[in-house]
Amino acid sequence: MEALVQRFPGARLGVNAVTALVVWGLLTWVNQVIEPLMSYYLATAAMYATAMFGMTILLGLSGQVSLGNGALMAVGGYIFALTSMNWQTVPILGTPWNAVWSMVFAGFGGVVFGAAIGGIAARLRGPYLAGLTLGIAVGVPAIANRFPELLGGENGLMLQVPYPAGGYTSGDTSDEAVDDGGEVPLDEEPVYEELPDDFGDFDEEFTDEFGDELDSDPGDLSDEDLLTEDDLLSEDDFLSDDDFLTDEDFTTEDGFEADIDSDAGADLDAGLDGGSEASEGADITDPAADLDLAGVDAGLDAGFAIEQWQASMAIAVACVVGFIALNLVRGRQGRVWQAVRDDPIAAAVSGISPAGSKISAFVVSSLFAALAGAVFAQILTYVGPGAFTLGLSLSLLVGIVLGGRNSFIGAIIGAVILVWLPEFVLDVSADRGWQDQITNNAPNFIYGLLVVLVVLAAPGGIVGGIQSLAGRLRGQAKSSSSP
Amino acid sequence: MIDFIDYLLGGISSGAIIALMALALVLVWRSTRVVNFAQLGQAMFTTYIALTVRELTGSWFLGLIIAMAAGLVVGVIVHFLVIRPVKRLDTSGAIIATFGVLIALEALAAMVWGGDPEAFPPPINNSGYEAFGRIWPFSPYDLLVLASVVFLVLALSVVFTRTNVGLAMRASAFNPEVARLSGVRVNRMLVLGWAIAGLVGAVAGVLVAPLSTLSPTSFDIFLVFAFVAAVIGGLDSLVGAVAFGIGTGLVIALVSGYSDSSNAPLVALVLLVLNLLFKPEGVFSHHKARAV
Repeated sequence: MEALVQRFPGARLGVNAVTALVVWGLLTWVNQVIEPLMSYYLATAAMYATAMFGMTILLGLSGQVSLGNGALMAVGGYIFALTSMNWQTVPILGTPWNAVWSMVFAGFGGVVFGAAIGGIAARLRGPYLAGLTLGIAVGVPAIANRFPELLGGENGLMLQVPYPAGGYTSGDTSDEAVDDGGEVPLDEEPVYEELPDDFGDFDEEFTDEFGDELDSDPGDLSDEDLLTEDDLLSEDDFLSDDDFLTDEDFTTEDGFEADIDSDAGADLDAGLDGGSEASEGADITDPAADLDLAGVDAGLDAGFAIEQWQASMAIAVACVVGFIALNLVRGRQGRVWQAVRDDPIAAAVSGISPAGSKISAFVVSSLFAALAGAVFAQILTYVGPGAFTLGLSLSLLVGIVLGGRNSFIGAIIGAVILVWLPEFVLDVSADRGWQDQITNNAPNFIYGLLVVLVVLAAPGGIVGGIQSLAGRLRGQAKSSSSP
Repeated sequence: MIDFIDYLLGGISSGAIIALMALALVLVWRSTRVVNFAQLGQAMFTTYIALTVRELTGSWFLGLIIAMAAGLVVGVIVHFLVIRPVKRLDTSGAIIATFGVLIALEALAAMVWGGDPEAFPPPINNSGYEAFGRIWPFSPYDLLVLASVVFLVLALSVVFTRTNVGLAMRASAFNPEVARLSGVRVNRMLVLGWAIAGLVGAVAGVLVAPLSTLSPTSFDIFLVFAFVAAVIGGLDSLVGAVAFGIGTGLVIALVSGYSDSSNAPLVALVLLVLNLLFKPEGVFSHHKARAV
């Protein structure tokens, strides 16, 4: 393949396009086959991968440690939310607005912010850049509090279009995301409408049986009924337990009557604080997980789930971004970034502008982060300071360092780790019966330790480790075969 | 005008604490040329230890002492386990490693003490003094904070300027190779720098906790403020860290007073950007910043 590319320079584009298309096709097929919950994980992983392709370029190729990508995701997410909520038609063209236009605007916002940050960052190195971007990660999401009418303040904005309908479906462009979005409601809405009928029949039967024959109930129906009720009950219990516990705690301290109001306030405050300042991962996905559980039940019966739509959208974006990234990195620009990373002075002598190279890396990674943020907004159907915390920026750093900062495969592996590890910890904790506060925070603890370990032992992450291991094995094979 | 005085008075104690945090960052930077982004994670952790000791014994002072000891130990542990092995690698590795320590410490604290914000009440009265017929936003606790910070800074400056150990530490920060040739055990001085930084950070954590609440991530914002103060001060100047720490605290108090406290990080960011653009070597630094 390399020989082909060397003979026909234009073939590089084709090879990259084929790569992206094959990955897209494969993941789209997988998305059709797996369960909705797995689709949700797939969507989240694709979102992380989209953002971390930018980290590969910024940290791996350009050598700049940035923590600001979570904030740039916030930029993309908020632009997506605002444009999709407020604009019904495309300003100049007059055609109906749809999600792709919001993505375009989100990406544009990312480019503008990235150029601004990159312009400053190009003058900085090492710890100064890390500290500045740390400030951006902490400070920029707080802007939402500045403009509560426009940006929703601490509570954020709920996207009005959680399900592909209305503006989402009337796509007139040829992007994959819209194609998928457009097909879905047409096929599935009739099926979806059957669901209430089923429930209605079921209820009638149930009351009839209750009214007439108490003893001779048919087993099947009641069994199904019990199962679904169990599921619902356990969720309800989980939620209400939390509420009751805190209420009781408060009331025993201060008395009953006066506490009803203040408790509600205190709980809300605690909830908000927990949401906004909580240490990422688990907390970010929680609201979405709650939403999804409702969606799973409906979707399973209807043969389709919102998660599958979200995943197909996220996969399409990730593949488009991956295609752009491959072309940039495997071409001249990739070599320019590496040259500046390895020796800025030598690069400058060779006619490369170090500042320009650093800025372009920032712009590209910001574009990717903003697109990932727009995808994130659609997965959560929500944007708010609580979604784009410092923890999000840190988890992007964790993912890229663990997966391997020098390759896009590393970014993908990192994205999978970020999605998989919390679920793995949940499984282990269910077996061992850990407390919630341990279960919820164990993933971050493991991330932190792993990051330190990887930096110490295998700076190339998992991909780099495998490569050096393979290289060593190959070297041993050579030396043993030809001593 | 009276508002202005109120805001300034209210900002003095938080400024003094930010000065301590910036001092901790500078001490680490001087000894190992690493910005320890885990510094306030360590401080958060030792403040939780202080809270536990205080709940068990009822003594705020004992909590402070134990936290200081713990800060010293944690600083030394992080230095030996993380920084010394990483320093042989690249700088971006050291930065990422300190963030790894921060993530792990915040998660560990949440695992041990829970993620919800906890109250850390001040040991003495925190309502403002009354004089000239009005209440001023300066309390006995603010006075305690100020006195502790002044005492600590004076003690450190005596150590650095009047003792052999202090001279050796300054020498190894200024020029490690010449210091080593002169018989200074530079590596020990590096460890000592991390230990003192951990201790100073622990004091800052215990002092700042009553001003808001204590949670695993509640010090993140102070990390930004302390970094801004330390960088504007020149990152290797103790005087600069103290001066601009207090200055940052006052600016934040004015911004919070006149507009809204959610603007404070943005203003700190603007200050940092202006400084990095126009005087990147900092105000009090001896070193020239590298051009590329």
